[in-house]
Amino acid sequence: MWGTGLIKGLAITMRNLARGPITVKYPYEKLELPERARWAVAPKFDASGNPKCTACMACVRACPDYILDLEVHTAQDKSKHVEHFRYEVGACMMCGLCVEACPFDAIEMSHDYELAVTDPEALAYDLLTDVDAASPKRARAEKPAAEKPAAEGGGPDA
Amino acid sequence: MSPALVIVLRILAALGLMLANGVVLIYMLRKVLGHLHLRLGPVHVGPKGVFQTTMDVLKLLSKEDVWPSGVDRALFYLAPMVVFVPSLMAYAALAFSETWRITDLATGLLYTFAVLSIVPIGILMAGWASANKWSLLGGMRAAAQQIAYEVPLLLSVLPVVMIVGSLNLGDVVLAQDGMWLGFLPKWFVLPQLPAFVLFAVAGLVELNQTPFDMSEAESELVSGFATEYSAMKFGLLFLSEFSNSFVISALGVTLFFGGWLVPWVSSEAIQPIAPVVFMIKVYIGIFVMMWIRGTFPRVRIDQLMQLGWKWLIPASLGWIMVTGLVMKLWQLGPQVVG
Amino acid sequence: MTDPRDLVTDVGLLAEGAHDPGSPPAGIRRAPTGVDGLTTEHLVINMGPQHPSTHGVLRLIVEVDGEEIVAAETSLGYLHRGIEKLAETRRYNQLGTLMDRGDYVSGMHGEQAAALAVERLLEVEVPPKARWTRSLVAELTRIASHLIWYGTFGLDTGAMGQFLYAMRDRESILDILEAISGARMMFNYIRPGGVVADLPAGIDGRIRRFCNGFDAYLDEHHALLGGNEIFQARVQGVGEIDADTALAFGLTGANLRASGFGWDVRRERPYDAYPQLDFDVPVGTTGDAWDRYMVRMEEMRQANRMVRQCVDGMPEGDFTAKVPKVIRPPEGEVYASVESSRGETGVHVVSDGSDTPYRYHYRAPSLFACQVLEEILPGHLIADAVMLIGSLDIMLGETDR
Repeated sequence: MWGTGLIKGLAITMRNLARGPITVKYPYEKLELPERARWAVAPKFDASGNPKCTACMACVRACPDYILDLEVHTAQDKSKHVEHFRYEVGACMMCGLCVEACPFDAIEMSHDYELAVTDPEALAYDLLTDVDAASPKRARAEKPAAEKPAAEGGGPDA
Repeated sequence: MSPALVIVLRILAALGLMLANGVVLIYMLRKVLGHLHLRLGPVHVGPKGVFQTTMDVLKLLSKEDVWPSGVDRALFYLAPMVVFVPSLMAYAALAFSETWRITDLATGLLYTFAVLSIVPIGILMAGWASANKWSLLGGMRAAAQQIAYEVPLLLSVLPVVMIVGSLNLGDVVLAQDGMWLGFLPKWFVLPQLPAFVLFAVAGLVELNQTPFDMSEAESELVSGFATEYSAMKFGLLFLSEFSNSFVISALGVTLFFGGWLVPWVSSEAIQPIAPVVFMIKVYIGIFVMMWIRGTFPRVRIDQLMQLGWKWLIPASLGWIMVTGLVMKLWQLGPQVVG
Repeated sequence: MTDPRDLVTDVGLLAEGAHDPGSPPAGIRRAPTGVDGLTTEHLVINMGPQHPSTHGVLRLIVEVDGEEIVAAETSLGYLHRGIEKLAETRRYNQLGTLMDRGDYVSGMHGEQAAALAVERLLEVEVPPKARWTRSLVAELTRIASHLIWYGTFGLDTGAMGQFLYAMRDRESILDILEAISGARMMFNYIRPGGVVADLPAGIDGRIRRFCNGFDAYLDEHHALLGGNEIFQARVQGVGEIDADTALAFGLTGANLRASGFGWDVRRERPYDAYPQLDFDVPVGTTGDAWDRYMVRMEEMRQANRMVRQCVDGMPEGDFTAKVPKVIRPPEGEVYASVESSRGETGVHVVSDGSDTPYRYHYRAPSLFACQVLEEILPGHLIADAVMLIGSLDIMLGETDR
């Protein structure tokens, strides 16, 4: 009979009313992000608190939009000192190519997604300022032998 | 108290009822639509968001009143008034209980329909005055739709009037007092179900509610005839829309669902809480309208006109004939005096 | 039929000094019908880039006689971002980030097309596990994209409820894709050679749970919208495109199959795991909006079937072939296409041997759907125009690139 579809439709919406809302009341309640979620880039530090970055510039070359920029001062003994490791978070598209490219596991895609700021100056900041870059030899030696940085990618696995 | 003061107080009561209704109904719409759609609706302003509409009204009062260049100034200014004032006047004949009425009109039903039929003129004025082709389309659709459906609306309630013999809304409710077979209430929805269905459809068209909200079709015309309105003019247009939905629901409850009557309780016994019962029934009717609004897609304007002229009018005329025949053959209804 | 170049593109009623108030605005043309000296005019209306229902920034200029459309012209380009030009400065492993932003509701399909093109240039063999993973995420993306189409199609006809129910199901899919790739929309997961990372542990349980519940939800979606008689009256018999017109305009995907021509890239030019998957391809008969609706609803069901098969039959092995970090394909050109949710998404790459493409062309199926609008709109009402745009499933991101 003409009209049964209409009645069934009303029954479906009433059934969904009874099922209850699925709203998560952000910011009072927050959902848990999966491990691989890619948000702002953050530097990683070793056990003694020093940054693992060796200033090799692989991430700077990998970024499609030239978001990362390293200002490095190389000393006489070939050790590097990072003046500024600039990161334009406002333009970053969080693709994760930089983290995939880093051979020393020195940066990660953090889970920090509440990135709205009121001051446009804050849309670009330094990941590292005025620190010594780690030595590539030491950084490679610290890595466990089984881990192959080039084959894994896509973000931090715990 | 002087009669003039009583009249003024009654008018103020009607205005108060209309404004209170607007506030409650807008909140109810947002909450009902929200929960039908798996979300929450307003939650932040006040406990469970109850003060949301009050704050929205204050916001509308404080907004800039935009006058787009090129509008017809007189019509642009008058249109919200022409839409709002008849909506207020329509409360005059409603019967909330045996004694609670704004005024006791012998021609209450006819008066209400007559007054509500001025509203499409205001909508047409609003659409025409805005210097905007989309508003124009919305206004034209309203003219076609709401004016055309006055006919089925009136014809669909005619059988009820025939049975009751009076246009007074209080008399219509009192005629539904009592029981059949001891347990079925004498509400007119049972013997006059086709009339109720026709009234419901025609009423939804008159109200510009989905599935018949073409003049305000959000996904096509932005806001239809009301696109260029801002601040309190917009507030008046939409307050009158919610107020009309209350009036039509109240008419449906009065004509078909026994007004303030509760089954198995006589009219005198229910008098102390009769207005409360009436309001509950009206709000149930409005809930059903909101439920339909959140579910159905929109009918196209030419399909609507075909529905009205080809189906509703012949059906209501046919049902009037059937009711008349049955009344004559079984000697039902009020007998002709003399 | 009116020459679209004669249509004035700006209606100018609100522009100060745009016309002499004594004469009618430039956009209104006189079409006298001469009853008792009365003249009627056709209105030129702009369904502008900002509109609740044009699925992005589509601009339609329609000339209407009352409510009936007499002529229509599409004006595209409001979302043009120069993807093809940007691709000339991107290395081959970065092309996925650009394709994600073309058709942004079915990102995996764009990435798949780009990856297939590079793999054909490099002549590298993708391992079975990678192929099955790519088909899995592609079919999940197809369901997600069709759910958006379903929700917005209902909104175009005026219904509100089904949009949020579709979004509820889409949230489940996006959560799964976020667990797999790391992002809800700009996945950057499919690369030349395979995929970026293996599927995470436990994801197959989640996917199976989704598949088991989705068929019932799909029935509910169809009952809510397709079973609704008002919707059927709006949609059946409206906007018919016969197979010849569809082929002449270059339509592909569900739009073409609804017109009766059963071309599916997954069948005709198989790629990834589709030769091993068992699925049906729904084909319509009349090509009206109802057939397009039914074809897409059935495609969702078939995609669900394929997702289940992918999860059950996922082989072991590498998730990517060995490709160099910086890809320098040999000189040559290749065209690779996939069956995306909107039709045949194709990528034509011309390589000059360096690490960036020499020329990169992105064939977007929605561009052809936008153009067929000019053909089918005359004769319909304005309400139908909105509904037909929705039925063709146009995505302005890929149309304008």
